[in-house]
Amino acid sequence: MREVYVAGIGITSFTRLEYPLVEIAAYPGLMALRDSGLKKIDQLYVANMGSGRVNGQTGLASAVVDHLSLTPAGAVTIENGPASGASAIKEGFMAVASGMHDVVMVIGAERMREVNQLEATDFVATLTHPLAEYIYGVTLPSLAGMFARLYMEKYGVTSRHLAMVAVKNHHNAMDNFYAHLHEEITLEGILDSPEASTNNPYVADPLRFYDMCPVSDGGACLILVSADVMKKLNKPMIRLAGIGQATDTHAVHERKDPTYLFAVREAAKKSFAMAGVKPEDVDVAELHDAFTILEIAESEEVGFFKKGEGHIALEKGETKIGGKIPINPSGGLKAKGHPVGATGVGQAHEIVLQLRGEAKKRQVKNAKIGFTCNFGGFGNNVVCLTFIKEK
Amino acid sequence: MSIDLEKILRPVDMVLPEFPAKYMTLSNGQEMVVRQVNRDEIPDILPHVEKLMHVERDYYHIVAARVYAELLAYYTYRVQDEYVLAAQVDGEIVAVVNGRIVNPDIGMSFHTLSMRRGLRVGAHAFAAKMEYHMDILKQKEVLIVAESPIGFRRWMIEYKLEKRFHIPHELGGCPSWSLTRNLFDNARNTLVVGRRPVPEKLLAKAHDAILPPTDPPKPPEDLLAATRSMLDNTGTSLIDMRRKLGGM
Amino acid sequence: MELNIYAYKCKRCGHIHYPYKTICKNCGENDHNEFDIVPLPKKGKLLTYTTLYNPPSDYEVPTLALGIVELEGGHRITGQLNIKNPKIGMNVEGKVEVVRKEAYNKHLGMVFYQA
Ligand SMILES: [Zn+2]
Repeated sequence: MREVYVAGIGITSFTRLEYPLVEIAAYPGLMALRDSGLKKIDQLYVANMGSGRVNGQTGLASAVVDHLSLTPAGAVTIENGPASGASAIKEGFMAVASGMHDVVMVIGAERMREVNQLEATDFVATLTHPLAEYIYGVTLPSLAGMFARLYMEKYGVTSRHLAMVAVKNHHNAMDNFYAHLHEEITLEGILDSPEASTNNPYVADPLRFYDMCPVSDGGACLILVSADVMKKLNKPMIRLAGIGQATDTHAVHERKDPTYLFAVREAAKKSFAMAGVKPEDVDVAELHDAFTILEIAESEEVGFFKKGEGHIALEKGETKIGGKIPINPSGGLKAKGHPVGATGVGQAHEIVLQLRGEAKKRQVKNAKIGFTCNFGGFGNNVVCLTFIKEK
Repeated sequence: MSIDLEKILRPVDMVLPEFPAKYMTLSNGQEMVVRQVNRDEIPDILPHVEKLMHVERDYYHIVAARVYAELLAYYTYRVQDEYVLAAQVDGEIVAVVNGRIVNPDIGMSFHTLSMRRGLRVGAHAFAAKMEYHMDILKQKEVLIVAESPIGFRRWMIEYKLEKRFHIPHELGGCPSWSLTRNLFDNARNTLVVGRRPVPEKLLAKAHDAILPPTDPPKPPEDLLAATRSMLDNTGTSLIDMRRKLGGM
Repeated sequence: MELNIYAYKCKRCGHIHYPYKTICKNCGENDHNEFDIVPLPKKGKLLTYTTLYNPPSDYEVPTLALGIVELEGGHRITGQLNIKNPKIGMNVEGKVEVVRKEAYNKHLGMVFYQA
């Protein structure tokens, strides 16, 4: 396999964007082309989950490649639930590593705010098991609620720990221009004051409003190239060194222990093995905190902390910027936003910024190895990426 | 205008008890005061409402236009038995709610205009308004209608309002929903919050001046960009977005 | 007639699947995909649960209680709950009822009550 580098990156604000989906996808592509200095690409992958259902548009990649005037490059749309983004990066990696292509553009884009929140939630809920889950009214928040209840009972995680994740990630997002939520929150406001339960009502108990990510629009882009192309560009050498993907049962109830995220564990293990690094080598990570409980659970499953100790590390501040392993310096899905198909690419965008040393106020010092975990379904399809900065 | 004619045009308001000010902590830790504002303070509020008339999203334009008219009518004595509550953070106005008393038993809720998003400011202000009708004025029911889907979700669903579709609401004659005493009592614990009395300093700050909202809802950068780009996909909106995002 | 939710028992190894799969998860043999249809037990223990405060818009209820139940015999099922104060580990018993309506279609599923 050839080695694969990130030559260029681009992103839109993750927020409510009143623009057609094609442009939400094209804009980060334009930014990434400019960033890399490249003019032509061999292949485009567009990660998106809902264009057919939410935006009434199919064949998105064909529309985007034309919008960017990059025809006749190949173009493919990739739908893999909320893990579409990192899945598309995996495809891009394979295209370059195999020697088939030298320059591959990977875009993730989603426009969910075209419909109201209930419809958006229902659209995401269609990824649950149609006969064993969806017909009961199961949505992603309810799966997260059931997961959280068992997890809290078993490992002593409390609402306070969950709120601490939200407070940390909201704080990180304050320094991220592209984040959806620019609002500091406090434990007092969402947990302790007499009005907290109204400010922060239950959505799927024990999870509350501030345990959930917002519904966002947004796009992000990575341009992946071979070593030969990369050397000519005079950009920081950020190598996509490891990719791991794993799946788990479709219906959550079928898992032996519903508090274990086996696919996360497996995907992370493969990704680290491929990159030749250990979890403790990682300097900065973006984990898929669509729900606050997931940041804690994933931080354990990927190997940063022992099972059942993620919340203790959080308490000690080890996951803050400046801590032992800063998690979600971008604000994470919680505060940066979660345009489902774009999220995996957005996570990679943040890690590349961090490794390049371009993350400004939220920069993790001397970050050399970065990691992302893009979590699809409720943990039934997970892609983990490891990036290494080379000299 | 002769004094006599003004007397005819001006309704005679009932004497209503004042809404006792209360305060609460927001998600971001700041303290918000909700208090009744008097007629003389209306001109201090109007300019901030006016700006929102041009925010063509989430029905801010129509809500702001109607609130403006209602506040103006209150100021110029052209509406009967109206009241206005304001929510302030450090003096800064973050929400306006208003309504009217139809008769001793029935209240008519007008509008909830939130000038700060994402902190449930509007929800708190709306709850204060219902508290005024139910606990202070001791009314039997309040008639409500929503213009925006956000409002609908907040009021109709969270409070589980009853249908009064045979009664046209004073806002546009739309079918009314009703908050009854029973529904209010059910929602009391979860939705109606706040502490009294307001600490003197906090209240003094609120009374001192109505300051402009620092982060009000803003119109999309170009009102027509989205529409235009749907008709003309030539990249004009791309340029707009670049401007919005501040370049590279 | 008593309604049931059915599981799929591998004709070769006897492993019971719910929901249905094309290849047996236990023996993984792909030279057959034959299953016996067996009713799932109704009694079990509540493994975890949640109350959803904004159920999908086609539900005309303000909240929806959902849970995962470990049935007698160890199979698990996701279902709706009709229990006032659910607790992890409590004994529950299921009934097959309408769990979702889609126009004139009715979907049947397991609704659990306190046993
Ligand atoms: Zn078998």
